[in-house]
Amino acid sequence: MNPPHTAGAHGSEDLEGGDRSNPSEPPASLPVSTRRLPEREHPLLGSLPAPPRAVCIICPPSFSPGAIVSAFVTLLAHRDLLYTLTCVRLSIRYKQSALGWIWAALLPLSTMCIYTLIFSRVARVASEGMPYPLFVFSALLPWIFFAGAVSAAINGMVGYSHILTKLYFPREIIPLSYVFAALVDFAVALVILGGLMAYYRIALSWNAFYALPLVVILLVFTSAVALFLASIQIRLRDVGVALPVLLQIGVFVTPVAYPLQSIPPRLQTLYLLNPVASLIENFRRVVLHGSAPNVPMLVTSGTITLGCFILAYGYFKVREGTMADII
Amino acid sequence: MFDIKLDRISKRYFIWNDHRSRSALWPGFTRPGKRKKEIWALRDVSFEVSTGESLGIIGNNGAGKSTILKLLSRISVPTSGEIRIRGRLSALVEVGSGFHQELTGRENIFVNGSMLGMTRSEIVRKVESIVEFAGVREYIDVPVKRYSSGMYVRLGFSIAAHLDPDILLLDEVLAVGDLVFQAKCLDLISELRATGRTIVLISHDLGAIQRLCDRAILLHQGQIVHIGTPAEVIDRYQQMTIGAEATYHLVNDEWRAPASCSHISFAAAEAGATVRTGYPMFARFGFRARERLENVVFNIFIYWPSSYLCAQLTTAISEPHLRIAPGPGEVEFYCPVLEIQPGLYRVGVSIESNGDDIDRQERCALLRVHPGKMVFGDFYMDSVWRIT
Repeated sequence: MNPPHTAGAHGSEDLEGGDRSNPSEPPASLPVSTRRLPEREHPLLGSLPAPPRAVCIICPPSFSPGAIVSAFVTLLAHRDLLYTLTCVRLSIRYKQSALGWIWAALLPLSTMCIYTLIFSRVARVASEGMPYPLFVFSALLPWIFFAGAVSAAINGMVGYSHILTKLYFPREIIPLSYVFAALVDFAVALVILGGLMAYYRIALSWNAFYALPLVVILLVFTSAVALFLASIQIRLRDVGVALPVLLQIGVFVTPVAYPLQSIPPRLQTLYLLNPVASLIENFRRVVLHGSAPNVPMLVTSGTITLGCFILAYGYFKVREGTMADII
Repeated sequence: MFDIKLDRISKRYFIWNDHRSRSALWPGFTRPGKRKKEIWALRDVSFEVSTGESLGIIGNNGAGKSTILKLLSRISVPTSGEIRIRGRLSALVEVGSGFHQELTGRENIFVNGSMLGMTRSEIVRKVESIVEFAGVREYIDVPVKRYSSGMYVRLGFSIAAHLDPDILLLDEVLAVGDLVFQAKCLDLISELRATGRTIVLISHDLGAIQRLCDRAILLHQGQIVHIGTPAEVIDRYQQMTIGAEATYHLVNDEWRAPASCSHISFAAAEAGATVRTGYPMFARFGFRARERLENVVFNIFIYWPSSYLCAQLTTAISEPHLRIAPGPGEVEFYCPVLEIQPGLYRVGVSIESNGDDIDRQERCALLRVHPGKMVFGDFYMDSVWRIT
């Protein structure tokens, strides 16, 4: 007797082929009419509008302006993920710690105390007529933001190896989320700075608003350094090992513990090529001294930062394609 | 219209010798000639998947299946060649792998969902349905480190299932979760397929490939060996793998066993016909006994390609007290209706006497079953019917 189903499109033993390769014949029990309609069914979500389909081309990466721009556009499309991951950083960082958010203020404060003890009581460094704790704290904040963000971003990138090998999203979001989380800590510490200034009775001037572009430039520069070092750290873990030392050197080639004037004038130009140095100097000027920023310094640091960011981002995107292979 | 188009894709990996791990413990320590080895995971692979089609990719471990998936999902980029993808693509690979242990289920829906490419507003809209489908409502505000592994996987799959991709990549996702959940996944995939989504399925489960795919690709050592209907490709794959493993050392004279198998053959009852599902078949088991034996049992074992036992032919049921005299002989089994489905099977044999194996040979032959009476399912069940 023949079975009720005759040999047809979906007989699992159809060796002749032909019929089976025809995709327009799904199992009879399922709807066929939804195909090629602007609205389509989803088994769990009901009928949805079918979005227009863009063609995406994947090819070996290259370093080109076009590639950088399109990568940046993709990054903007994933801004929700950047936001979510930044929130994750913030919410898990102080989980299972008794002091929680107080740490965001406590860390710079304790560093301030150490610096005050060494450079003000022992070494007697000049502080441009300001109380030394305030002098050092106003520069420590941007420095701690920079150093903290870079080291967290680099170590965090490797900690994500299990996701890097399983899921795709623009990889730069991982280091950037650490940078943005550090920015929130920076904002918390700014409140403490305000408190300290009130305590020492130092008035804030309108020039303090110049801090805003300074912080934006610092954010971009920090991102550039984080992206560049993170892409190297993926291949060579030496970066993570060497970083604490490098940052320790960094704090002494920026005017954190001492005023800019202590640098010999002929070396100052070279010294200020470091965007962090000139940004910190300007930050102290506008916030603490209430004076106008040094515009040439601002422009130079902005230009160098932009150049660094484009190079670092382009390099990161070229490296991105093989990160999952070598991590 | 194509949805996926691979044009001469190659992918090279480098493998470093362990002694020169790149940790820079001894930067100068290299052994000449053993530094870096290149491996081509894919070599000049080109194929297209058209809209609404589902494509299966099979091959041995190391054939390049997962590399294709990694390239399609952009986890890794090709060394040369170009891939064009039209539409939104989602990969269901190790669901739940993006979870943060410290975060609650709800928070993880947001993190994982946005990693998979959903926007926040999209997730807000879908979060109820995700929780519902995963069946973890009571635990949704508990950190996922407290979840059972089943809940973990269900939540992960549920998030992925709520994506609305044009193209879906699947890699052994069906191997996770309990049977009920697996069935749920399979249903969902069939439904997605029926609504015109393009599917690329990578699996060792040949049954799933056959059920879900319109077309299949066989990969071997980074190159396409065969593209065609799933049945064709699976057949080719089985020939490649089983054919290579089968050993035909049946005549075993050196071994002084009391009796040994000398040959085995299968034939259709009809002269000149092939062995086909639903038709009679003879199996002939030749043996050579060196002494008089009591309580003898002859067995033929038929194995699936996966090595699971599929069926057994035995003399034990009808005659447990068989006696044989010294010398050569042959047992002929007659199957009135061959119930196993078309494909290539491994065959093993054994001879027992008084409950002990006196000869046993695994995978000593192959049985090819050709298409005969065609039905769905794992077996052909012979039946008669009438209208009452």
